[in-house]
Amino acid sequence: MSDPELRTLVDALLEEQRTLTAVERFARAHERHEFPTQQKHYRDLIPLNAPQSGEQYAFAVNLDTCTGCKACVSACHSLNGLEDGELWREVGLLHGGTARAPFQQTITTACHHCADPACANGCPVLAYEKEAATGIVRHLDDQCIGCQYCVLKCPYDVPKYSEKLGIVRKCDMCHSRLADGEAPACVQACPNEAIRIEVVKSEAVASEGRMLPGVFESSYTRPTTTYKTSRDMPAAVRDGAEKLRLEHAHWPLIFMLVLTQAAAGAYGAASALGGVLPVTFATALLHGGLAVSILHLGRPLGAWRFFLGLRKSWMSREILAFGMFAGCGTAFAAVVWLGWKMERPLAIATLVLAAAGVACSAMIYVDTRRAAWSGRRTFLKFFGTAIVLGLHAYAMFAAMPQWLVIAVAVQWIFAGIETRYHLCALSDDDHPAHRSALITKRLLGAVEDARTIAMLLGAACAACAFITPSRWPAAVAFGFAAIAAIAERYAFFAGACAPRMPGGTAR
Amino acid sequence: MKLPFNLRNFDGPLTRELVREPGKFGLGQVPSKVAPDATTTMVCGFCSTGCGLKIHLKDGQAVNLSAETDYPVNLGMACPKGWEALTPLAAPDRATTPLLRNEKTGELEPVDWERAMVLFCERFKEIKAKHGAESVAFLSTGQIVTEELAFLGALFKFGMGFVHCDSNTRQCMATSHVAYKQSFGFDAPPFTYADFEESDVLVFVGANPCIAHPIMWQRVMRNPHRPEIIVVDPRKTETAMAATQHYALTPKSDLTLLYGIANILIASGWIDRDFIAAHTNGFAEFAEFVTRFTPDHVAAETGIVVADLWRLTETIAQGKRVSFWWTMGVNQSHEATRTAQAIINLALITGNIGRPGTGANSITGQCNAMGSRIFANVTSLLGGHDFQNADHRAKVARVLGIPDERITSQPSLAYDQIVQGIEDGAIKGLWLIATNSSHSWIHQDRFNELLKKLDFLVVQEMYTTTESAQRADLVLPAAGWGEKEGTLINSERRIGLVKKVSRAPGQALADFHIFQLIAHYWGLGTMFTRWSSPEAAFQLMKEISRGQPCEISGIADYAHIDAAGGIQWPWSEVNAECKNPPAEWRERRLFEDGKFFTADGKAKMLFDMPRAVAEPTDAEFPFVLMTGRGSSAQWHTGSRTDKSDVLRKLAPANCYVEINPADAKRLGIGPGDEVSIRSRRAFITATAFVTSTVRAGQVFVPMHYRAVNRLTHAAFDPHSRQPSYKYCAVSVGPA
Repeated sequence: MSDPELRTLVDALLEEQRTLTAVERFARAHERHEFPTQQKHYRDLIPLNAPQSGEQYAFAVNLDTCTGCKACVSACHSLNGLEDGELWREVGLLHGGTARAPFQQTITTACHHCADPACANGCPVLAYEKEAATGIVRHLDDQCIGCQYCVLKCPYDVPKYSEKLGIVRKCDMCHSRLADGEAPACVQACPNEAIRIEVVKSEAVASEGRMLPGVFESSYTRPTTTYKTSRDMPAAVRDGAEKLRLEHAHWPLIFMLVLTQAAAGAYGAASALGGVLPVTFATALLHGGLAVSILHLGRPLGAWRFFLGLRKSWMSREILAFGMFAGCGTAFAAVVWLGWKMERPLAIATLVLAAAGVACSAMIYVDTRRAAWSGRRTFLKFFGTAIVLGLHAYAMFAAMPQWLVIAVAVQWIFAGIETRYHLCALSDDDHPAHRSALITKRLLGAVEDARTIAMLLGAACAACAFITPSRWPAAVAFGFAAIAAIAERYAFFAGACAPRMPGGTAR
Repeated sequence: MKLPFNLRNFDGPLTRELVREPGKFGLGQVPSKVAPDATTTMVCGFCSTGCGLKIHLKDGQAVNLSAETDYPVNLGMACPKGWEALTPLAAPDRATTPLLRNEKTGELEPVDWERAMVLFCERFKEIKAKHGAESVAFLSTGQIVTEELAFLGALFKFGMGFVHCDSNTRQCMATSHVAYKQSFGFDAPPFTYADFEESDVLVFVGANPCIAHPIMWQRVMRNPHRPEIIVVDPRKTETAMAATQHYALTPKSDLTLLYGIANILIASGWIDRDFIAAHTNGFAEFAEFVTRFTPDHVAAETGIVVADLWRLTETIAQGKRVSFWWTMGVNQSHEATRTAQAIINLALITGNIGRPGTGANSITGQCNAMGSRIFANVTSLLGGHDFQNADHRAKVARVLGIPDERITSQPSLAYDQIVQGIEDGAIKGLWLIATNSSHSWIHQDRFNELLKKLDFLVVQEMYTTTESAQRADLVLPAAGWGEKEGTLINSERRIGLVKKVSRAPGQALADFHIFQLIAHYWGLGTMFTRWSSPEAAFQLMKEISRGQPCEISGIADYAHIDAAGGIQWPWSEVNAECKNPPAEWRERRLFEDGKFFTADGKAKMLFDMPRAVAEPTDAEFPFVLMTGRGSSAQWHTGSRTDKSDVLRKLAPANCYVEINPADAKRLGIGPGDEVSIRSRRAFITATAFVTSTVRAGQVFVPMHYRAVNRLTHAAFDPHSRQPSYKYCAVSVGPA
């Protein structure tokens, strides 16, 4: 048994531990302060006047005094109440130079509040607002549907998606602080006054060159941040984050793309063959593809506003095209089921809309200007998938082994063209897609192998098709072709190196 | 017409998540969801800069913080660790009850405080009875408040009657402590941060303040005199980039370089003969000694060409207010004390001490390394006193109200000797307090192997997951910074206040309370009743400090420290009695009168011949491995900083190694490749960061990653017994 007196001491100390004393004992000192005390440090770091017409706010960074302490990053996090681990500002590294003159430079970076913001241009629901008065690119959190297209569009990796919230968020340049004559959190917190806010003429914002060596060309979005340095930056300066890494795979998009493209091809087969089964199959693929696309959205209930972005966003256009494709394709199927006479015009309309849908899909990626998603390559991949899977469907429903051979051969031809492109990018250090090719080679070997195996098994099925008269070899071959397409599409996403600002050491 | 829905939502619940509002209390806008109803300022608990943080309180509980604008140290700025200081308190792996290792299952299991305390006392008493007073040791820290360090030291030595104890300040500041004590007569860093702003030449030796002490660097950037900034460092660090002159010397050739500089200064007559004559001893011998460090010899040893050596020396000679700053590049060396003293000697012979913008200045590492040095009762008797001095013992005994004979003159073993003691079987019980030796001690595998030899290992910690806690027999759950009161002493001798602004989880108790419990359960009766609260302990410290260089008797209480924005020692009753203290008293430096704390008031010039490194490179291990701070977002072994998602994102997740492009190419290592690093002691892997900022033949690995100290070689400075983390031989190759 324990001694009651001893227990009392433990209890007394635990109770004392739980009593918070700071307020009672010390918290009177700041009560009289009405104005932000920090103002004396940042008064000269923000403009005296708000932007006039044709002007906007912009970050100006003095690299000579940025020494990588990263206070800006944490202050932004704490003073803006961000989620755990959510960062609106980051600090990266450029390094290089020679043995005699080694060089390193830390780079603080946030949203560049571009004059022509790619995020806003890509958003299907206009969840971005470039404020007329300030030029600040605001993200409208309650408008966002979580499609993450802005994440792909921004060449500086600024918008960040939150799984928990189902939306993207990003730097708002502390617009409410600026409106009150306060400095943004990062400006307030930099010990060396490396970050300031300037008013710039919108038309004077650079539309060529690059903000820094190695970052994306300014012509795309016209970023307004300026980086100033008195140091000689070596020409061959390198990003601190050199380690190859996979990009986000976006699984719902992989399935959505493969299924809708398969549907496009299958409608082609259905048009050629007629009959209930092929068109039903095509319709099922299409609806499956569209259903799975919803899984990609963080907040799908707002997606009905997609038409808002039609003027600029390929995502809006894709949704429209696929909506019409789905309507027309389903009508086509219904006509076939009901045996009505309107089959022919509906088939033609369906195929036209299918092509438009697949083209919009391709444009979504082409419009991000990622090197690995060039127009030629993306169109080749997307239409290639439609043609290859369409031929497989034709072979399956026609039950003609020679058509399966043709389907498999076409698949290998498309793969061959792509391999040629890949090898070309791999062997040329200056090729825009060189880094993506390296990622594919070094990190996606297993995926590439899986694709090759699926294609070989498809070829084996074609051989089997000559032995048995059933359509099963063709059906199985269709499955393998779909698997090969999914593997290819995974590599399409995971292997497409995204342009970014300089990253941290050895990340 | 109003539609039943909006086409565009400019507002809504998600938008309101991030709304900001005026925060009052001088804050400017703050996130509405954490808008405070009160604020208070306290000092940060990571590094020795000692920044003031303004804690945003809601119902007495801290909900957010920002940097304090008016604190004389940081002037409204903080580094990422400071900004994130509250986050680690909420980590899920906090120790919330005492944990005892179940001998059958080998698992740590919760027990109540009663059982933990009974067991703690029983086991240590048993060991003492069987093996004597020298068989139990503690290793403590520079991370807890001074009152707790003082209580621990007094309790362990005077109460429990043990002898051997040390602190992790042995790993960072022991060298400065010994160097200052020998040269100045007391462990007295002479500077104030205002000196960063006053110098016209700043010399940084083995220091990377841009990363290690960003807020001190802030003060350098505020220097209006367009100063020459000289950085002496084998690597082209962030600070070297920002400097006006960088000298990439061969690792561990710093002592030779400093003697070479002294030789040129003396030979050229660029010295302050009046100051030397009036305020120093040993100049003639020193001047004679350094003649052998001819420019050619120094160039050959350091890799710095003769012309550069002259340029460096001339810059120092031409400076009117030259300040010298050093950190771990000096302190963690096999000849660290003499190197620090070589820097001190440069300041002395050029008369650069005691005036604004001058000084031989050791930048401290941990937030309370100085509190530990002065008050931990480890190598010095409480208050910077001498265990050998009977008067000192009597004075301390009187203030504490304990019998004189409770204080023995027997010196304690140093950290490495305690570790050796475990190996030899002399030390059977070990108590770790707020330090993570299983990660941080040099030649880690040996240390962790030796822990198995102990009869009883107690770890007093905030987290159950540290490498050390995982090896403990008994874990005592400690409250952390912000969950208790007390004071810290920063690099410029400023005493700052820590306040209780957050509730400790579960049954975790402030270290102070844990010591109160131990005093009680050990059966020490009324011996420690004077230690009734941290502030009561502070009053004892004041009394003990009376008459010492570090006197703080003029500080009234915690409220006084709070109101003053921290108070530098010395602050005696003479200072306190001054009705209108001059503004410059807010930032004071020592030795303005040229009087040092030695018996004759003169500073001593101490020197020795440079010695070869303990483990030179050879054909099998051709690379020099240097370790050090990797980023401003990581603190030591990461037991706190790794708990913050933000801080984790600001540093590489995996151990990496900086390697020169030429070496990488030769070895077939590309950027981002996995590489293997092998020393005579262990083999680890790391990610390659190929960069010309580190020279060929050298590699650098940050100390924050667990594996690093498996490689390091346990060599020590003979005077300070500080481990030499900056040099060992390794081989590198593709993994």
